[in-house]
Parts: sequence; structure tokens; C-alpha cells
Amino acid sequence: MGLARYVALRVGWAAVVSLIIVTVTFGLLAAAPNPSVQQAATQAALEGGNPQEAVERERQLRGLDEPLHVRYLDFLQGVYTLEWGWSEYRSQPVTTALFDAVSYTAQYSIPWTILTVLLGPLIGVYSAANMYTWRDHAATGFAFFGYAIPNFFFGIILLLVFGVWLEWIPIVYRTEVPTFSLANARQLVIPVFVLVTGSIGAIMRVSRNESAAFQNATFMKTAKAKGVSPLRAYAYHVMRPTLVPLSTTLVGQLLAIFLGSSLLVEVVFGIPGLGRLTFNALVAQDTNLVLGSTLLFTFLAVVGNLLEDLAFTVLDPRISYDDRDL
Amino acid sequence: MSTDTDPSAETDAPRFDKVDWEACAGDRGARLSLNTKLFVLTVAPILALAGYDWYAVGARETTFGALAAATNLQGPFDTLGLDFAIATVDYAFAVTLLLFVWYLVAPLYQHPRITAYYWRRFRRNRPALVSLAWLLVVFGGGLLGPLVLNAPEQNVLAGHQPPVGLSVADANVAECVGEVTDGRCAGTWKYPLGTTRGGLGVFKGVVYGMTISMKIAFITTTLVAGVGITVGTVSAYAGGWVDEVAMRAVDIVLSFPTLLFFLLVLYVYGAGLGMFIVVFSIFGWGGTARYVRSKALSVSEEEFVKAGRLSGATTRRIVRRHVVPNTASSIITQLTLLIPGFLLAEAQLAFLGLGDSSIASWGQLIAAGRSDLTFAPWIVLAPGLVLFLTILAFNFLGDALLDAVDPEATTEADR
Repeated sequence: MGLARYVALRVGWAAVVSLIIVTVTFGLLAAAPNPSVQQAATQAALEGGNPQEAVERERQLRGLDEPLHVRYLDFLQGVYTLEWGWSEYRSQPVTTALFDAVSYTAQYSIPWTILTVLLGPLIGVYSAANMYTWRDHAATGFAFFGYAIPNFFFGIILLLVFGVWLEWIPIVYRTEVPTFSLANARQLVIPVFVLVTGSIGAIMRVSRNESAAFQNATFMKTAKAKGVSPLRAYAYHVMRPTLVPLSTTLVGQLLAIFLGSSLLVEVVFGIPGLGRLTFNALVAQDTNLVLGSTLLFTFLAVVGNLLEDLAFTVLDPRISYDDRDL
Repeated sequence: MSTDTDPSAETDAPRFDKVDWEACAGDRGARLSLNTKLFVLTVAPILALAGYDWYAVGARETTFGALAAATNLQGPFDTLGLDFAIATVDYAFAVTLLLFVWYLVAPLYQHPRITAYYWRRFRRNRPALVSLAWLLVVFGGGLLGPLVLNAPEQNVLAGHQPPVGLSVADANVAECVGEVTDGRCAGTWKYPLGTTRGGLGVFKGVVYGMTISMKIAFITTTLVAGVGITVGTVSAYAGGWVDEVAMRAVDIVLSFPTLLFFLLVLYVYGAGLGMFIVVFSIFGWGGTARYVRSKALSVSEEEFVKAGRLSGATTRRIVRRHVVPNTASSIITQLTLLIPGFLLAEAQLAFLGLGDSSIASWGQLIAAGRSDLTFAPWIVLAPGLVLFLTILAFNFLGDALLDAVDPEATTEADR
């Protein structure tokens, strides 16, 4: 199997996975009483109207009286053509609301991802180079601390210490400051720090253990014997092979934390990004927006897994395509 | 086996082909082991009670109250304090506890030599020992706490009491339970870790939260282990299209964002602790299945499995007697490293106010104290630190177990 064929199959599989997820979501919604129908009934009853009639009208309005397969196809078409409906809570189309929120999420996600990807392997390799010294122990301790402390709890504590007691950072997130300004950097530094601490631990541990095998390899001995500087030796002969196995865990790790913690971190710090939008939609009972934001997160997960696998294929040319999982 | 040769015709010297293999092997599969019998014996009353609860107890009655009325034994029941309702989650918890006792603790007791061997290897890891001690505290507290301590109660007058040994300005406290000196309210032993705004004892809240965490840890782990081990071994052994389909299913399960899916379920149906456990188990077994499959494949290449097959053992017997026991230790390790994720997810949901509001979990307590953080930080700090230490302890324990049972797999733990 050639590279092109493998990539095509892998992309096809990602499409199948997304289809399955959308189908499960539809099944979930179809099997439950629609909240807006119930709302209509309550509304009618409160206003002295006929609840039964209101339910019928609402069902007709939302197309719920059509057969299941027609609704399913409609749903699929809506999802894949990005017609995600109108958000009652935001009074704007769901896609617009999501698009607005993405920019706030990106403001802290991009620095966070860059820092994690840069610092994680660096500290891991450094830790391996100084194995069993106090530097290694400190790095290991930090990794475990970051891995174990719940992000939202850590965020609250840091907000208390630096926001309330020391007053170094603003407590309330301000949306009106320009994206590239000192004020924005100041209000985002703690969320980014919290997320980096949470995600860097696992990457540090993997790169430490992977690079430990390479630094005693014969090619390192040769490099040292030739008089290559330690920095160059580590950068070229240890870091590069370490990055290959790391790439299989990196995206998955980041995605898992992104999906879970961005929700919490945004609520704690009051950032009006995707996570907070999802939360508000849940609280405000806005079905379209809940659906839209969860679907967006899901698609991000599917695309992330796809990119991870493709990156691995390009980075490590040794494995044949035949005996590999899609 | 040796039935086609006539034993009496041979010499008396011990010979390989004279061993009575039928006696050694026993009758295959039909006989239950001692632990299984004990398990069945102990689980039967629980299931009977659950069945009684399901069919005979009304929605407004408590389980034991109805049982006492039906058996005319109100007296003894009252003296024992048995008058409370049992939720479905509690039955599941009891059953998983019995599984844990009869299939994990009892075998360790029955095989002292191998237990001592594991213990020697495990003991070298100091952080892991501390972690084990901490988890035993959480386990004991979670199991016995609700029996010893009565549930924390709202008492607005006793709100914002400081923990023992600390004092806060009197103005922040509605009515100081302890002594007031120089306008500062001191903490009392009545509320060792202080109280929330509503006057709930934080210590009691933390202990009751241990119960919730233990329930989540035990039930999800059992469900995940059940599905994961079944799918993994079946997939490894059946091969072909079964393997292919199972592994594709694992891919799907792994790429499902569980927390978001749970939010969707919660939004559509509303969800309590039981639903949380079910959803996270349904989407949590992917990693375990993949891991068990690779382990089972490597074990099935071993010589003793080939030997077993040559002597006529069925696939079912090989899987049950050789493959699963030989992968069990690494499966347990892998499961230990899964638990923190479940605990964290529950705390996150409870913190957001999207969890089961009827249960007193650590996340609920953290959420309750968040608005009072500046002058009553103990409400957030106590449950938060306990949650942090528990997650840390599970991680250390998992790593140490991995080193103890499988020296080759050190790097796997950190992936």
C-alpha cells in the first residue's frame, strides 16, 4: 500500500467516524422529548391556550411530524452543509456564535500549544541528560504535580493568589482590550500557565523515557568521540528520534486536555470562548447551540486524530503501510 | 491422552505418559472455584435485596423500612439504625466490592509466596507506599464514614466557621461556634475543617465525597475491565473480521469526546451519578481493550499456550486459564491509571453545576466555596487538595504496580 492510498483510506475512515458520531447524536436527540416542544406546551398552558395544539404546531414547525429517515437525512444535510440553525440564546446563527467564540479560545490555545510542544520535549530531554540528579527529580516532581492537579482547582487558587491577594492580574476578563496588547497578555498568562502545567507533564515523561534510550546509543558515542558539542549532539541525535514516538501521543494529549479543560478554564477565568459558550448554551437550554458546539468539538477531535496519524506516517518512514492500523 | 495405552503393561518407573492427565486437569470448566462459590454466596443476599427493592418497595418507601414492615421486625431494624433507601448505584457498588474482595484480595491471601514477591518489589518505591496508605484512608473513609458520621446538614447560623487552629474576623461569620477573642472567631472541633456558607461541615463533606469517589472508581473500573477484557481477548483470539470490527469500534470509542457526549446526554435526558458511570464506562473501555488485545497476542505466542493447545485444551479453556491470568496483573495496572480520569471528570462536572446535585462530591464542595474564596478559602482548599492527592496517589500507585508486576513496561506507564 502506497502513501497516497494510505492517506486516502485514513481520510475516508475519519469521514466514517464523523458520520457515526453525528448519527449517534441524532439518535440521542430523536429518542428524547424535544425541550422546545415541551416549552411550547408549557407556554400555551400558562397563557391559557391548548397545550396539545401548541405541541402539534411546534412539532410541525420543527419538522418533527415527518418520518424518521427524512429527519435523519435532513439532519445530516444540515450538519455537513454547516446549516446549524439559529441560536435563541445568542440571537444569531449558531455558526456565527461559534466563530466569535473561537477567536477567544484561540487567543490562549495557540500560545498554550506552542509552549507545550516546545517546552515539553526540551525539559524531558534535559531531564534525561541529567538523569537521577536533583534537576531530574525536580522536573519529574513538576510533571507529576501538573498531571495530577485538577486544572480548574489550580486556576482558582492562582486567581486567588495573583488576582485577589497580589493584584498582579485582573480578576475579570475584559474582551475590549486589543488582542496583541500587554493588557491581554496579562489576563491570559495565568490560564495559559495552568493549561501548560496540565499538559506538559505527560509529554515530559514520554520524552524523558524515550530519549534515555538514545543518549547511550552508539551513534552518540561516535558523536562525542568526534568532538561534537553536547548541544548539537543532543539536538541532532537525541531530540530528533525522540520526537517520532512523541508525535503519536502529543495530539491526543493536547486534544484530551483541550476538550475537557478549556471548558473549565474558560468558566473559571470568564473567557467567552467555545467552552463557556457550550456551558452557557447548556444552562440556557439552547438546543441548537449545544448541538453546534458539541459537534464542533467532536469534529476537532476527529480531525486532530487524523492529523496525528498522518504526521506519524510522514515522520517515520520505516514502517510499511500494510501492517498498520488505519 | 494416555487412555489408549495399557498402564499395567509398563514398568513401575515414573514415566511421562503414565501421568493421569484427566485427574490433573479435572473436569473441565464445570467446577466452580472456591472464590466463585464464596462470591455467589455473598452476592446472593444483595441481589435478593435489590430484587425486593425493585419489585416490592414503593417509590416513597425506604428499602429497609419496607423490609422491616414486611417482616414485622421493626424493633431490631430500628436498633440497628437500618432505615434508609438504597440507590441502584449502591447495589452496583456492593457487588463490585465483593468482586474486588473475592477475586483480588482473597487470591493475594491464598498465594502468600507470590504476594510477598510483589510486595518486596513494590516496597522499594517510597512514594507508592505513601500513595497506597492515602488511598486506604480514602477507601476506609468512604466505606465507613457514612456509617459513623451522619450526613452533613445545612445550618445557616453556623456558616463560614474557620477550621481548627485558624481564626477569621468575626464580621465574616454569622454566629461563631467557637470562642471569639479580639474580634476574631476561632475554629472548633465541631467543624474540624470549617463550614461552608450554608453551614455544612467541610470535613463531613470531604468524607462523604470519598464515598462518591470510591463508588465511581470501583464501578467504572469493573465495567471498563469487563468490556475491555472481553473485547480484547475475543478480538485477539478470533482474529480475521471479528478482530477488524472490534478494533474499528475501539477507534471510534477512543475518538469520541466523552465529556462532551456526556454533556449532550445530560442536556437531553438529565443525568445522575448512575448515568455518569454508565456513559464514562461505555466510552472508557477502548484503551483497555487495545491493551488487553496486544497482551493476549503476545501471551498466546508463549510456549505454555502451545503446550496447552497440543494437549487438547479448548480455546475457551486456554483463554480462561492461561491468557487472562497472565495478563491480569498488567490489566490491573492499566485500570489504576484510568481511575484518576473518571474522578477528575466527575469533579469537573460537579464544579460546573452539571453533575448530580443530590450527591455531596468534592467538586460540589469546590463549587460551593468558590464565591467565598477570598475570606473562606478552606471550603475550596480542603476538597481540592484531597482530590489532587487522590489523583496523584492513583498515578504513583499505577506506576509502582507497573514496575512491580512488569519490569519491562516502565515507559508504557508514562504514555
